[in-house]
Formats: sequence, structure tokens, C-alpha cells
Amino acid sequence: MGKGFFLVVLDGWAGRAAAGGWARVCLRNLALAVGLIAAAAASADAPPGEAPLPDLSGMTPEEQGLTIFRAKDSRESGYGDLQVELEMILRDRRGTESRRELSISQVEMERDGDRLLVVFDTPKPIRGTALLSHSHLQGPDDQWLYLPSMSRVKKIASRNRSGPFLGSEFAYEDLALDDVEKFSYRLMGSERCGEADCLRIERVPHDEFSGYSRQEVLLHEPTLRVERIDYFDRHGRPLKVLTSDGYRLYEDRYWKAHRMFMENLQTGKTTELLWKDYRFATGLDAERDFSTNALMRAR
Amino acid sequence: MTRAGSAAAALLALALSAAAPAETVEGEQLVFGSFRSEENARRWAAELEHGLGREIRSERVYRDDGVWYRVRTAPLGAEERRAVEAVAAERGLSFWVVRGRFDEPDTLTSSARAPAAAAAPAAAVVTTGSARTAEPGPVAAAAPPESREDDAAARSETYLDVGLQTRSYAERGLDGQDRFQPSVSLRLEYHRAWDDGRQSLTVTPFVRIDQDDRERTHADLRELFWTRVGDGWELHVGARQLFWGVTEFNHLIDIVNQTDLVENIDGEDKLGQPMVQLSLLRSWGTVDLIAMSGFRERTFPGPDGRLRTPVEVDTDRARYESGAGRGRVDGVIRWSHYLGPLSVGVYHFSGTGRDPQFALDLSGGEAVLIPEYHVIDQTGLDAQLLVGDWAWKLEALRRSGHGDRYHAFTAGFERTLVGVLGSRTDLGLVVEYMYDQRDEAAFDTLFEHDLALGGRWRLNDAADTTALAGVIWDVETDEYVVTLEANRRLGPSWLAVLEARVFAGTEPLTGAAALAELLDGDSKSGFLQQDDFIQLELTRYF
Repeated sequence: MGKGFFLVVLDGWAGRAAAGGWARVCLRNLALAVGLIAAAAASADAPPGEAPLPDLSGMTPEEQGLTIFRAKDSRESGYGDLQVELEMILRDRRGTESRRELSISQVEMERDGDRLLVVFDTPKPIRGTALLSHSHLQGPDDQWLYLPSMSRVKKIASRNRSGPFLGSEFAYEDLALDDVEKFSYRLMGSERCGEADCLRIERVPHDEFSGYSRQEVLLHEPTLRVERIDYFDRHGRPLKVLTSDGYRLYEDRYWKAHRMFMENLQTGKTTELLWKDYRFATGLDAERDFSTNALMRAR
Repeated sequence: MTRAGSAAAALLALALSAAAPAETVEGEQLVFGSFRSEENARRWAAELEHGLGREIRSERVYRDDGVWYRVRTAPLGAEERRAVEAVAAERGLSFWVVRGRFDEPDTLTSSARAPAAAAAPAAAVVTTGSARTAEPGPVAAAAPPESREDDAAARSETYLDVGLQTRSYAERGLDGQDRFQPSVSLRLEYHRAWDDGRQSLTVTPFVRIDQDDRERTHADLRELFWTRVGDGWELHVGARQLFWGVTEFNHLIDIVNQTDLVENIDGEDKLGQPMVQLSLLRSWGTVDLIAMSGFRERTFPGPDGRLRTPVEVDTDRARYESGAGRGRVDGVIRWSHYLGPLSVGVYHFSGTGRDPQFALDLSGGEAVLIPEYHVIDQTGLDAQLLVGDWAWKLEALRRSGHGDRYHAFTAGFERTLVGVLGSRTDLGLVVEYMYDQRDEAAFDTLFEHDLALGGRWRLNDAADTTALAGVIWDVETDEYVVTLEANRRLGPSWLAVLEARVFAGTEPLTGAAALAELLDGDSKSGFLQQDDFIQLELTRYF
């Protein structure tokens, strides 16, 4: 394993992005403040993890889409640090399965993008391989890969978001779901999904290296969590469908899916992500636990 | 969504609704302790679950004195409760009882369900009046003894991998050595962490048993060290492995660990080096201060081995320039940092050099080479600049102490093309140039004015298939080496590695000429010309 293996990786997985810079931070903080005030005002009647949408009247569908995604982003910020275990199940058209288990730690930075540490637990031949990512509000992310067989730390390039993540049907860019400023949006309409209302929003990636021409995102309206995403390839053909479920509320505030299912419509391959054992505020330290030294120690 | 997808989703929803029948439960919980550390609570819960044969949960509770993690049963009916109490009492477990109406947040909730009712916050449990009054005073009284926290904080892991390796050579060796060389290797790894992960012990013994080469049958403690992590510093004491460098075809500046040459001639297998290492992590970079003793001698193949010099290296008679011999204390200080796309490391090493020079000895009646280790001073630099798809790399050193002071470098780039021709495959192109000022007099390297060209394939498939192929060409003598290394996982626990090397561009050394030519810098790879090989290794990971 080496260069190019993990390019963009989860950059902005929890919403910190390279694009936008300070203007974006200000916007985010504003959105956060507005969100908090709204949450406080609404807390008397809104159940935990839900909040009324900002007033969308008088906006174009494009502005509505952006406003909704900003609100979603601000609801997902402020978690401090978290740890979670991820199991990936890759299946090909014949149903042959391959599994991977990863341990993920993540910390929010005050004035910068998130830091992320991913350690591979299985399959055993790649156990101990680890990836560290420092995402930045401006400029490309810093990423390092640790190769235990040589005790070697390699700094790697963080471009090429369209490549497959660990041989799965998820591309790196798919895991940067709430990276607000990297798309333009359009609210397409509202529809029933299960017992609640959902919002259908089209988004078009700004990144010229994206593997998609556009996506259609279905958001559960009371919580703004993602129910489904339809991905269209660069020629506009349906490419993949993501469905997320098993949502659980953490810390009274964060909705986390416990299962994601990605199906490639063109190849028939699927990847299932099972998220387990979310732990918030475990006392991780941004320097001690997310340095290149920590990368070498990770296991 | 396709039909298969929606069917899967429907099945899942069904399974979930069966698993999570009720949101609010009337009953009592048995609490087996509260912990400050979530990790400890989870471990205790897992242990209890095993011991009691019943689901035990760890749950976060907010009290006036902060956050605690409570280890408890699910809400139980009166009869169930008595049953669990009986088992717990039998095992001498202390517990207390919390009564009330509980919202159960711990079961998976399908998104199709009404979200508010499905997953109410855990904190609601404690704010229930009856629950609070039922808690018997200070939490510490109810928590299991202190020692439990210590036990639970320690974490041990043991891993073993066993490799079966076969090397097949195109021809017999210079002295008629066998064409087929099988061997078995074992690597054990034990790791124990405690003190909330601040301290750890790592032990990694390695052994290889080779059918033909008695020198390649060898054992080594790859690692045996203790680590203490502080705020802004780390201390490691014991035998470790440290790799420094950025280039692919040559590892010029890597100096801390001795090369385990019998393992592989690519210089990527290293012997454990005893050391005390202090790392200081500062905003302006990382400083490593390392003191080493217990010098490790390079390993060399024996008479029945391959990939060796025509005259045997007598490792038992190694000589040292330093009067302290292997006991000399060597030191190195290194600063490393990164700034945006640029990463830099600079070190200075003072001590016994890892590369021996050879003295021809005829005193025993038979010619042997005796390794001589000299004291050197070496300053090394490694730098890498990432620009788009390009990674520019430089390793350089300046060495003095034995003979004239000289410098050497390896410089080049790797360009990565992602998704070539619309496939999932990534292709990397590697170009590196290696230079050594000593030219043909450089006794410790084959690369003095060599150009390396390589290609790296990454299939991005479920089996993690990768391959690196390359050719290293001496632009002045026209000697060249072709290399191939490919990896593929076979299922979850097996790894297959294929390696091949072809040596060409010069005449093979034979007979009496061998000795004279050995000292001829123009055909340094002469003694390898008959050693083209393919190596297949299957490793099982336990």
C-alpha cells in the first residue's frame, strides 16, 4: 500500500472543508449561532435532535437548498471528539463477500479542519496500517499513511476524490457528505418517506475531478439526516444509490446512521457500512493523539 | 432503488422492528458500578455480560459531580430481577437497584420509525425522580474496587504470522549452490497498553528457518520496547525500528537500524536496535534525541546461500574502529517538520556506521572477507514536496570519518494517475536518480550513478492487489537490475507476495577471476549475475 491509496480520504467527513476559507468559517459560525438560538427557542416543543427549518420563503430553489445544507452542517458541528468502529462488507455481483474493520477517531479543531485517524484492524494482512488526515479550511489537507511492515510513515497527496475507498463502492468524496461549499444546490421538492416528510435536493459538485455530474439527496425533514442519495455519473447516467438507516441520536443532538448501503447500478457490486460503538467526548487530544508519532503508535 | 436494494431494506426494517418492540419500559435495573472512564465501563460490562449470560449495558449519566458511565442491566420485571440478583449474589458481585420508567435508547432504530419516540436521551433515566433517590449515595461506594479500574485499563494483544517462502533461481550459484531455496518464518507480536494508553510494551520476535543457508536461519528481536507518552513528548526504551526516508528504490539516509541482508537485498528488512529515544513534539517540528548501544552487525548469506559475494563474509571476526566495539554509544539528533505540501527531516549521526568495509583475509588458508565497521559522522536530509499528482523527493547525505568526506543523494518524483483509462486502477510512475560522489570506490552500494524507472499499480479491488515493477540502470557501466514485487490477499487471513529480480549488463564472475573482479568497481553486480530469482511467499496471519 502506498501513494494514492487513500487520497482525499474523508476530508471534511464531518464537514470541515478546504474551500471557502475564513468567509466560510464566519458563515458557519453565524449559521451555528442562528441554529443554537433557534434550537433554544424551539427546545420547549421540538424533540431532541430536531429543529424547525430556517424560513425559506422568498428564496430561489438554489438558495433554499444551500440554506438547508448549511443548517444540516451546523447541527453536525460541535461534537468535540469521537471514536467509532466501522465494518465494511464488500459484495460483488456473485455475492462473494469481503470484510474490513476499521477504528476511527476524530477531533474537531477550533480554527481549522477536523483531524482524523483511521486504523485498519482486519483483514489481518493489513492490520496496523493507519491513516492520519489533518483537513484544512484553506489549502489541501495533510495526510500520512503508516506502513507497519517497514515502520514507514509516508506523506501522501490528498487529491483524486473520485477513487474507490479501500476497494469499496464508496468513493473518497462520498464520505465527505456534508462538505457544504463544495456543491451548488437546488431544492427539488418535498415528498413522503416512511412516516415523515423528506426534502429532495439536487447538488452539483464544484470539483472538476469529481466522478459525478450531479446527485439527488433525500433528507429527512425533521432531523435533516440523509435517507438516500442517487449518484449520476459524468455522462448523467444513474451510477450508484446510497441508503442510510439505523439512525440513533447521540448527545441529544447528533443523528448517526448505523448502516449505510451503497449499490453500484452499473456493476451490481454493493458495499455495506456498519457503524458501531459511537463514543463522544472520550478525551482525545488533537496534538497527542493526532500527530505522526501517534500514527506510528496507533493500533 | 433497485428491487434487490428495497428488498434488503424491507428485511432490515423488519428485523429491526422485531428487535426493538417497545420504547418505554416499566421496571428495575441492576447497576453494577459507575466509572469515570467509558472504556473501563464497557470492559466491565462485557465481562459481566459474559459472566451473567445476560445483556449488560454501559450508559452515560450526568451527575452534579460530572459524567459517569454506569454499568447496568436492561429494565427487568420483578421475577427476572430476582433471578439476576441470585446469580450476582452467588458470584459475590455488588450492585444497587434503580426503579422507574425507562426510555430505552440502546436498540437500533430504523429510520422508518418515528424518531422522537424511538431514541429518547439516556440522560432521562437519571432525571427520573425515583431513579435519583434510588442511587445509594456516593458513586464510589457502589463502584467495584479501584483495582478493577486498573485491570480494565490494560489491554493486551497477541498476533502471529507464519510465512512459507520459496526462492527459485534461474541457474545454479557460483559455487554450485542449489536452485531451489525454501524457508519458513515466524513473527510474533505482543502488545500491552495501560495507563489509559499512555504506557505500552511491544515485543516482536522473528525467526526464519532456511533449508540451505545456515546464515539465513536466524532469529532477531525486531522490537522489545517500552513507551511512555506525555504531553508534548514521548519516551521509548528498548529495541525499536525507525525508518527515515522518502524514495522508493534506494533507502540512502535510513541509518538507525542495521539491514537484515539475508532476509532481502532491498534493504527493507531491519534488525532491532537497542536505544533510548526521546521525541519532543513542538509547534516548530519534532525533535528526536536518540542514544544507541549494542551495535547490530549486518547479516550475510553463508556458503550455501545465494545472492552473496564469491568469497564468504566471516561475520564472527568483525572488526571495529571504536575501542568500545559493539558497546560504543552512538547518538543521533533529528528535526522533522512539515509545512503545507513540504515535509523535511534533517539529522546528524555520530557513531559506528552501519555499512561495513571488507578486508580480504587469507590467514586461515582460505580467503574470507572480514567486515570492518568504522566510526563516522553523517548528516542526512530528506524532503518531499507534493504538488497535485506529483511527489518530488530528495534524500541526501554527507559522511566523514573513514576515507575522504563525501556526499551522495537520491532524487526523483512519483506521479500518480488515478483511475487510468476509466478503470478503478491507479498507476504511479516513479523516476529516481542515485548519485554517490565516491563513484566506483563506493564499497557499500551498487548505486553511484544509477537511474531507476518504475511503475506502481494499485487495482483498488477487494483483495488489495498492488504491484511495483522497475528497472535500475547504471548509466556508466550499463549494469541493470529488473525488479518486481506484487501483493494480493487471499481471503481474510492469507497474503501472497511475489518478488522477482533479474541482474544483467555485466559478465558473471567465475573461478579465479572472481577475486580480482570483486574489487573492480565497474562490475559490482558481477557476483549477482547468476542469481536471477523468483520468490513466492505465502503468509498466514493469526
